[in-house]
Amino acid sequence: MCVGISGKVVSIDKGTAVIDMSGAKREVSVDLIEDLEPGDYVMVHAGTAIAKITDTDDHETNTIMGKLS
Amino acid sequence: MNQQDIEAKEVFTSYQGKPLRIMEVCGTHTHEIFRLGIRNLLPSSITLISGPGCPVCVTPVGYIDEALMLALDHHATICTFGDLIKVPGSEMSMAGSRAQGAVIKTVYAPMDAVTYAKEHPDEQVVFLAVGFETTVPSACLAVKRAEAEGVKNFTILGANKTMPNAYQALKGSADAFLYPGHVNAITGTAVCEELVKQGVSGVVTGFTASELLAALAVIIRLSEKGVPFFQNCYSRVVRPEGNVQAQKLMAEVMESCDAEWRGLGMIKGSGLKLRPKYQAFDARVRFHLPHITGRSNPACRCGDVLQGKCTPSECPLFGKICTPLHPIGACMVSSEGACSAYYQYGGKING
Repeated sequence: MCVGISGKVVSIDKGTAVIDMSGAKREVSVDLIEDLEPGDYVMVHAGTAIAKITDTDDHETNTIMGKLS
Repeated sequence: MNQQDIEAKEVFTSYQGKPLRIMEVCGTHTHEIFRLGIRNLLPSSITLISGPGCPVCVTPVGYIDEALMLALDHHATICTFGDLIKVPGSEMSMAGSRAQGAVIKTVYAPMDAVTYAKEHPDEQVVFLAVGFETTVPSACLAVKRAEAEGVKNFTILGANKTMPNAYQALKGSADAFLYPGHVNAITGTAVCEELVKQGVSGVVTGFTASELLAALAVIIRLSEKGVPFFQNCYSRVVRPEGNVQAQKLMAEVMESCDAEWRGLGMIKGSGLKLRPKYQAFDARVRFHLPHITGRSNPACRCGDVLQGKCTPSECPLFGKICTPLHPIGACMVSSEGACSAYYQYGGKING
């Protein structure tokens, strides 16, 4: 139940968006995310988008490790 | 392995400091660390402890008994996340109750339960609302939708929990927390920064191999300095302020309450319940449920596992009568549970 799935916003209609999760499309609630547009990536939990994803894990961890060394 | 992963591995292999206990608060972290083989990269001086961050695992037996009472005595249709179905109650699991006529439906989202209730107006539909701050907003949205659309046959059986006071209860169990990234996506990072002032260290991280390796490397490096620390290693998802919209929604629909955690007992202010305004959607109120105290198998050591006091392998039931097919404790049932991870990924099995 706690697995978050990232997905790309395909379309938005009021508080609901179609999200493409690695090819599987599903309607989820986007009531809790402001300023969302098609093409954005979101983290989805239990049918609700909980956060906008703003970077790739590769870039973020590269930055973290760069600061650590 | 990319370059930053190799650098993280070098941090692990070169570590010569004091023994470190790192608690993975989130069950999905536990599983991913096992699945990716990260435990095998760490030196013996670093111990990973699987914490209480699986909501199914910390849900008390009495809650399952309440759900069974609703299904069998009140003939309510139970809508639940799949993880809960095989969790043993005092007498049986919800899976077992199906043989006695209980109607148990698996849903992906709380909103799906509202949709089911609309489509089946002759049934009383109860959604089993378990989960931490990550899942609570979804349950709140479902209640708000049911209210807005006049869905009178929908209620929730609440057992939602919040992490801050659990951290307080567990802060002596580990040297650093690997905070659950998606809880922090909702709550923000203020609670973690506050814990630093109390001497409690930790990092927020995500769930990919690179994120987990980088987070562990950060914990190791910052621990070497001997000063409590916090770092957000998941800023691509977790903002310092969290999801303010979700926080407002939760504050409108729910209020704080004391909550029982399986294995940890009652923790003050660690639960959420519907505010009086939304009591029409509270299954305990609608069905006048009595207070139920469940009985778990006395030999089950899930409680000790959740606090890091023992590993699953040290439980006498693990791998013998308690297996994923026939689970005795919640930590074996849930796909996010520590016992399930140990069993699936090669933790030592008794016998």
